[in-house]
Amino acid sequence: MRKQERRAWMCLVLAVVLFGGVALFGFRFVKDGGKWASFYGNSQIYTDGVLNRGEVTDRNGEMLLNLSRDGAEYNNDAYIRMSTVHAVGDPNGNIASGAISIFRSQLIGYDLLNGTYDTSKSGKKISLTIDAKANAAALNALGGRTGAVGVYNWKTGEIMCMVSTPTFDPAYDVPDDGTSYYFNNFLDGAMTPGSIFKLVTAAAVIDNVPDRDSYEFDCDGVNEYSGVDFTDIKSHGELDFRGALAQSCNGAFGELTRKVGSKTMKEYAEKSGLTKAVEFDGIKTAKGSFDFPSDDNVKLSWAGIGQADDLVNPCAMMVYAGAVANGGEATQPTLIKDTSFISEIKDAADLNGGRSMGRYLDKETAAELRSMMKNDVVDNYGEENFPDMDIYAKSGTAQVGTDAPDSWFVGFTDDSDAPYAFVVWVKGGGYGSEAAAPIARTVIQQLKEDN
Amino acid sequence: MQEVAQIESLVEKILTFSENYPELAKEITTVSRWLFVLLAAYILLIAIVSLLSTRATPEIWGYFMVEDGTNFPITHWENVIGRSRSADLILPVGTVSNNQAILSRHAEGKWLFKDLGSRNGTAVNGYQITSGKKYLIGYGDEIVMGGLHTTIAPPSLEESRNNEVMRRMDKEPVAPWKILLAITLFQLMTIIQLILGMGDDISAGALMSIVILSIVMWAYVMIFKALGRKGFEMEMIAFFMSTINLAVTASSDPEGVVKQLVAILIGLGLMIFMCIYLRDLDRTRKLRPVLIGLSVVLLLVNLLFGTTKYGSTNWLSIGGFSFQPSELVKLAFICVGAGTLEELYDKRNTIMYAAFSLFCLGCLAIMGDFGTALIFFTTYIIVSFLRSGDFSRMVLTLAGAGIMGLMVLRFKPYIASRFAVWGHVWEFADDQGYQQTRTMSFGAGGGLLGLGAGNGSLKYVGASNTDLVFGFVMEEWGFIIAVLLVLCLITLTIFAVMSIVAGRSTFYTICACGAATMFLVQTILNIFGAVDLFPLTGVTFPFVSTGGTSMMTSWAMLAYFKAADMRRKASLAVGREVYHA
Repeated sequence: MRKQERRAWMCLVLAVVLFGGVALFGFRFVKDGGKWASFYGNSQIYTDGVLNRGEVTDRNGEMLLNLSRDGAEYNNDAYIRMSTVHAVGDPNGNIASGAISIFRSQLIGYDLLNGTYDTSKSGKKISLTIDAKANAAALNALGGRTGAVGVYNWKTGEIMCMVSTPTFDPAYDVPDDGTSYYFNNFLDGAMTPGSIFKLVTAAAVIDNVPDRDSYEFDCDGVNEYSGVDFTDIKSHGELDFRGALAQSCNGAFGELTRKVGSKTMKEYAEKSGLTKAVEFDGIKTAKGSFDFPSDDNVKLSWAGIGQADDLVNPCAMMVYAGAVANGGEATQPTLIKDTSFISEIKDAADLNGGRSMGRYLDKETAAELRSMMKNDVVDNYGEENFPDMDIYAKSGTAQVGTDAPDSWFVGFTDDSDAPYAFVVWVKGGGYGSEAAAPIARTVIQQLKEDN
Repeated sequence: MQEVAQIESLVEKILTFSENYPELAKEITTVSRWLFVLLAAYILLIAIVSLLSTRATPEIWGYFMVEDGTNFPITHWENVIGRSRSADLILPVGTVSNNQAILSRHAEGKWLFKDLGSRNGTAVNGYQITSGKKYLIGYGDEIVMGGLHTTIAPPSLEESRNNEVMRRMDKEPVAPWKILLAITLFQLMTIIQLILGMGDDISAGALMSIVILSIVMWAYVMIFKALGRKGFEMEMIAFFMSTINLAVTASSDPEGVVKQLVAILIGLGLMIFMCIYLRDLDRTRKLRPVLIGLSVVLLLVNLLFGTTKYGSTNWLSIGGFSFQPSELVKLAFICVGAGTLEELYDKRNTIMYAAFSLFCLGCLAIMGDFGTALIFFTTYIIVSFLRSGDFSRMVLTLAGAGIMGLMVLRFKPYIASRFAVWGHVWEFADDQGYQQTRTMSFGAGGGLLGLGAGNGSLKYVGASNTDLVFGFVMEEWGFIIAVLLVLCLITLTIFAVMSIVAGRSTFYTICACGAATMFLVQTILNIFGAVDLFPLTGVTFPFVSTGGTSMMTSWAMLAYFKAADMRRKASLAVGREVYHA
């Protein structure tokens, strides 16, 4: 029997094969389990390819979207549905940067121990930082025009309002070919900034033109340079540096840009965070881009006043405004409300600082720019137009081809209950602050009312 | 029927509770997932540790004494005497053949001696014996092989006593009570979880089946414990796996659970019958021609009247009751492949086995059942390897090559199509890779702890409770329990191999190893196929997959393991007369 005794070990070879195979599978299970579990065919979490669980609410607990095996349920208010659809996303995943696409893994809730088992008591929930009513107000104020509105708390980073138009009602008319409807101008857009870019040029001037306090420019409304007209809507007459920003004088800022020079302008565009994507919560915004030629002073001048090839992303612009408010340090935005107990205590004690994205401006520079932005409001837009707000801003008119120009309004408020940085862009909105500024005011008023 | 009414009212109560307190009901599932894993680990680890840590001390049946003064204890019933190093009683003398003779125990004090055609022949008590013929010899008879004088002596009384003491010192198999309680708790919790998970879809019959399984389990242990048996680890493992099987069936096909329970009970009965039958080696050997005959008839009937499911014609329906003949033939295949040491040197026996194997595999090839064919083929290879002497090696290898050729020809198109997606099923997620990708995806969704019985989604995928059952268990019971089930089968194999040291006859050894091979290959094909480590072949996971014939066979197969269990008074399949008084 000795032979059989020895040879019986052959069976163990099979046992080793089985064990080895299961071990290999176990390794893959640990490594790729999350990927496997979120596979579109997994009916634990998808019904007909649509996520079947999870609830998305606004910062005040207002239900925006509720996914279940019975399908998707939306907020009752059409304005809320349409104004939050870009933030919430659509179940079919057409809106790439919507919460249910970006935070899908949180809604699936996969972890190795529990798989997709939902250990929470009342189901997976995502609380967004946006305020549904303010979003609806922004949509209403946009009045059917194409545009983008973004407001965030420059202390905590919470995005309070994010609206992009054109939009659609996800509960009823999901457009078949909705590329433009799905597109989020605030996150994914890159547009000509026009005069709002003068906030960056001004920062460069503050740091690099020591005699700026004695700077003078005589604006004749035409401001010819090198045979090219840097036209303004009217003749501003004698202007100092502060006045040049308040009146948004193209002639003066063209000249100031030339004083600063192409290399420094490029450096400041980068330093302001406008040439890279703003990254937060897994979202990456579009990047802005600029061209400051060193051998073409005319083009350099145009670039310094936000024209030529300049493109900015609205979200990046909002963050820049927030950095000015925050003494030069930029706060990273976020769309997810931390609803943990600890965070609520911190909120109560006002300890919840946002995550810093680094220093955009020197403290002194930020302070001077801040005072100039206040001056813009006092001198140009009228403080009476913004009741009960300590507001600092800059408007912009972006010339885009032969169409009506785009209207911009960017800035921040510094009220203790409303430390908000904002950006408003209205396509074809016309000149300066006319179209965009009232939208900013409406939204901030709504936010102050709600929060 | 009063019990059914009771179960129904229990279901109602639990459902009302879960409707009124949904958060609390969910919490029960959340917590019990942990308890299930802990209980399963407890049950199986105790059984596994007991099986692997208690081994039988080989019994000494006598002494083989050589004239030069050396003497060997005889620890097996069957021994090869020869010059070869693989012989049991080695005579390192040139005049002795490699495999000179076989000495096998006949009855108390009597031995059978058979010369294997040695070069110089053998003489017993001065009489030159005929090679190939068996002679009854007793203690003190003089055996001369190649000029070497030898004899057999009985174990001295003192030796016997020492041996007895040694055996008494052997660690005893673990007492079954704790495991029984743990399994029962597991079963009760399974019932509650199934109600929570399935809601109104669960049937009282399904839950009742789990209760009956529990009762039968207790009755089985108590009866055989009262009859003096001590080792129940293997049955506990089988009862545990059967519980998982009932839960899997209840989740996927509540109406099929009763049928599944019946299969378990028939299987258990078959196992007990086989255990008792296997006690008598001669009786078992004589059964083999009958088994061959039955198998041939079954397979032929299958070929003629079989129905086709999933591309292979391996089903037979008689009066609304359908079963897989090839599953039952597995039992016969092992028994026919086994043989006593003497038979392994017998040409007729070897040719018979090779011919039977060729026939079985030929039938499976015609049926188009690639998975089962692979199981038979691998078992054939391993058993042949165990059997092979000089002559039989040739016959068995030739037969093996023939079978291979046959299979390649028959399964070529099948293999080509299945192998096409193997290794990259995710690229074919909605056609040929559909089942595998779902198995992995849903299985991963189960995590380590599972979603809870009844909560899975894989059940809506075809063959989820048979071919994909590993994924089913991963999803509803979690990866840990799924792996524990695999460890159970690996443990049975290790136990089978370990028990050979104290084995009586090669017959039992080959049976146990053959059964282990079948279990292992089946499990390998089932799991590897479902998770894309191997092409999907559509075979069952022993004890866990839903399916009547497969469950019966799994239980019956257990008898082969029980027959190899030589731990003192442990096994139902070993007669008491085997041990010394």
